[in-house]
Formats: sequence, structure tokens, C-alpha cells
Amino acid sequence: MLTYLTRRLFTSILVLFGVSILVFSVIHLVPGDVTMSILGRQKVSPERIAALREQLGLNDPLYVQYGRYVTRALQGDLGTSIRNNLPVSKSIGDQLPSTIILAVAAMIIAMSLGGVLGMAASLRQGTWFDTLVMGLSVSGLSIPTFWMGLLLILLFSVNLKLFPSISNSNSPRDLFLPALALALPEAAVVARMVRASMLDVHRKEYIITARAKGLPERLVVMKHALRNALIPVVTFAGLQMAYLLGGATIVETMFARQGIGRLAVQSIYSRDYPVVQGVVLVTAAIYVLINTLTDVTYVIVNPRIRLK
Amino acid sequence: MTTELSSSPVASSSPGARMFRQILRNRSAQMGGIMLFILIFMSYGAPLFTSKDPNKTAPSLALKPPSLVFPMGTDGIGRDNFTRFLYGGQLSLRVGLVGITIGMLIGISLGMFSGYFGGWLDSFLSWITDVLMAFPDILLALAIIAILGPGITNAMLAIGIAFVPSFMRLTRANVLTLREMTYVEAARALGASDIQVLTKHILPNSMRTLLVLITLGIGSSILAGAALNFLGLGAEPPTAEWGAMLNAGMKYVRHAWWLTVFPGAGIFLAVLSINLIGDAISDAVAGTTIMPPQK
Repeated sequence: MLTYLTRRLFTSILVLFGVSILVFSVIHLVPGDVTMSILGRQKVSPERIAALREQLGLNDPLYVQYGRYVTRALQGDLGTSIRNNLPVSKSIGDQLPSTIILAVAAMIIAMSLGGVLGMAASLRQGTWFDTLVMGLSVSGLSIPTFWMGLLLILLFSVNLKLFPSISNSNSPRDLFLPALALALPEAAVVARMVRASMLDVHRKEYIITARAKGLPERLVVMKHALRNALIPVVTFAGLQMAYLLGGATIVETMFARQGIGRLAVQSIYSRDYPVVQGVVLVTAAIYVLINTLTDVTYVIVNPRIRLK
Repeated sequence: MTTELSSSPVASSSPGARMFRQILRNRSAQMGGIMLFILIFMSYGAPLFTSKDPNKTAPSLALKPPSLVFPMGTDGIGRDNFTRFLYGGQLSLRVGLVGITIGMLIGISLGMFSGYFGGWLDSFLSWITDVLMAFPDILLALAIIAILGPGITNAMLAIGIAFVPSFMRLTRANVLTLREMTYVEAARALGASDIQVLTKHILPNSMRTLLVLITLGIGSSILAGAALNFLGLGAEPPTAEWGAMLNAGMKYVRHAWWLTVFPGAGIFLAVLSINLIGDAISDAVAGTTIMPPQK
């Protein structure tokens, strides 16, 4: 167990090291002179360019710049925004909670909706209900998040006037539409997984035994089948955060909602590289962390994996 | 006697042909295929369906609801939404196809070398894959756009690079199993070079599993392209593209539903049809070959 944990942790650190190199390189991979790209095509004084180069620390050798970037990032200093001169870590710190609340709300909706539909479909395998759920699921997988959000806006805010189309707080009313838009395609994945997993478990011997010893069907499903069927689904939940964090970019932009996704898109428009780098670094770090935790949980839940 | 044998149905059907027939018989693949054909035909045959110019403005005709003259209404500056929908489809479908092709070519080649030669190259490439996979979904494409700058070509490139890791991983896993096969050993014993073994024996045999990833990848690639365009990081105005049209239509969401519903439906139907075909391929592949071990 300890060997596994050490090895897993080492891999994660190695990946984070790669992520930091990649994120650091963003500013250096910009074709041409990055200061020209930031300041635009208009005539700027050489002093202004020199000052910006100094601010970005571009005059030092690359390894010095990278060393400085990583040292500072580890201390929570992600540089300063070129556009508003605020520390990047402060902007991200301000916006991150909104994104996390959105992602968690979406996750809860996706898990419960997908879970219930997937389970119901597996119990009625081959019926019209099963076909309907699977049809909805393949459609859910194909719907662009932004179109989903738009249809929800048209239905719930333009026609029924129930929920606002702009989400500027974390109240349930403001959160509902963006979270639903983000959750529905994910619920489609969950429904498929739960259904497949339940059908798989239903063929297991302990289910046949449970039925043979005369347990009521309700107990067989709830106590024996569901619990075991949920193991792969719950451990998969960590990976779904990837989709949710990525999808937040679109949903936040669409509902004019605070969050690091919208911050990233706006910073790309305004070529505010330190902010782009900060958001990408933080998101990737969160993702790596979640993945590591998921893997570790999986091993704890399912000891058979350890032997591999 | 010999003619009788060669004309028997068993002898004439290769596993590939059997798989293809199984896909053709699949109901959802048929539906997907028809839908996709209609979308492609309408987009690329746009001049057959409309004589209007997608970029011609007519402010006096702005925001007209769908009618016989304008089947999908008009936009904020009086352009015909139907014409833009048709021409926009060309670009949306192309972004998806070009994106996945870039990802596929790079990913498959790297995966083959990585899996076949092993050693430090394999460790290094696998590390890069892990690093690229640490960026959730669209974020990697966004980071690449941040470097290259917005634009339709850069969007295709960004999507392509974002797809490299998944192709590389699957190809590598395939190669690791296949290179131990007796026929590969035999080919090598007969003096085939590494390149010959890779292209003539290993690649064709990993094609089936790759086919699933390619088909489903085209769908994801179209979705990702539309998302980048929706965020305003792809096609520049006045170019018609479904994601960009949806973005532009957002301004009028309260007054002109047709500006957002139709382009969104285009993306949805395109991706849905590809996913339906992909599902059928996935079923057929699972039925005829042994899937490689995960990871």
C-alpha cells in the first residue's frame, strides 16, 4: 500500500513538473515578440516595451525565469496582471469559489439524475423505457453545452420567466440554470455507466444467491446490486471534474457568471498572459490532485487493484 | 471443385467485411448515416438550396422570423440565416475533421514509436501524454489558442493537439500487445524492417480499435470546434460557422430564437449522427476483436 502511494505521488509530482514547464512556456511560445503582442500594433515607446520586458522578467536566461516562476508559484505568487495590475492569485482566489460551487452543484445534479435514470433503465432492460433513457443519453452526449444552456434560457427565462438568464450570485435561483446546463450532458454519461454497471452486477453470483435465499427484490437491488454497481461510478466522479471544470468556461461565459473559466477566456481576449498562465496552472493542479485522490480512493475501496 | 470453394460465402468474407456488414445492419448506424449524409449534402451543396449570399447584409430585413422567403429567419443585419446555416455547416464540419486528422496523425505515429521501441523515448512520450492529459477538456485547446492567438486555423490546430494524447495512449497500448504476436515475430524473422513491421502488420491490426476513437473523436472535435467558435476564439466575422453564429445570436436571445436554435441544432445533429455511427462501430469491434487492456 505504502509503495503504491509513494509511486502514485511521485507520478503526480512528475506530471505537475511537466504542467509547470508547459504553462511557463506559454509566454515564450507566442510567435514573435510577446511584448508587441501584448501592447498591440500601435506605436509604443521603446521605454514602455523595456518596462514591460522588465515586469515580465524576460531579460533573464530561461532557466532563471523558470526557477523564479516555480519558486513564486509554490509560494502562492502567480505574478501580476498586465491589464489591471492586480496579483493573479488574488483574481483567481476571488473567482475560484464560484466555479467550485457551480461544478459541485452540477455534479450533484448529474449524479442523482443520471443515477436514478440509469438504475431504472437497468431494471427495465429492453423495454421502451430503457430505449428512451438510452436515446436521451446518446442525445445528451451530443448536445453542445452552450446550446443546452441556450435552450434552458429560452424555456426557463424567456418563456416561463422562472429563472434569470444572468447568474451573478450563488443563490439557488441563480445557480439552477448554469448548473443544469453543465450537468445534463454529464448525467447522460452517468446514466450509461450506472446502467452498464448494474447489468454487469445483476449477472453476479451473489445476486443469484440473494434472490435464491428469498430476499425481496427491493432488498436485492438496494442492498446488494446498487452498492456494488456504484463503486466504479463513484470513483469515476473524480474524473468527471475534468469535464465540469472545462465546461465551466462555456457556461460561465454564457450566463455572464463569475468564475475562473470566464476569467481565462477574457484574459485570452485581452492577451493578459500572466492571468491565462495562472488559471491554466491552478486548474491543471486541481485536476491532478483530484485524479490522484481518485486513484488512491479506488485502491482503498478495491484492494484487488493493489496487486497489479 | 476449386471454383465452388471460392464462391462459397464463408471464404469470401473477411473479418473486416463482416464487421462492415454488421455496422450497416445496425438501426442507429443507419439513422446516423442518413442524418450525416443529409447534413453534408446540404452544407456542401449549399448553392443548390439557396441562391443568396451568406454575407450579404440588408438592414431593412433585420430580425425577420422564419418564413417561406427566409426559412430560418434573418439575423441582426438582415443576412439570411438559412444561407448562413448551410455555409456555416461546411466550416463547422471541416473544423472537426481537420482537428481530428491532426490529432490522429500525430497521436498514432507517436504512439507507434513509443510502444514499439520502448526505452527512454517511451517513458518520455508517456510523461508528455500524462502532462497533456492533466489539462481538463477544452482548457488545453484554450491554452494553445492563448499561445497562437485566436483564428480558425489556430482553432483546428489547438483541437488537433488536444486530441494527440488519447490517440497516442490507445495506439501505444495496441502496439504493446501486438508486437508480441507470433506473426509480428515471423515478419521480423523474415527480415522486415521496423518501419515495415509497423506499417504493414501492427498499424492495420490496431485499426479496428482506433476506428472507434476516430469516429467518436470526430464528434468531440466538432463539439470542441464549435465551443471555441462560440467563445469567439475561432472564425472571425463575417465568416459563417455554427458556433460563431450561436454566439452572435445570443444578443437577440429574447427577440429572435431562430438565430440560436438553428445553428445549435446543426451542431447537435452532426455530433449525434456521428455518435450513433460510433456506437455501432464500437459494438461491432467489441464483437469481432479482443479489446486491448486499458492503459
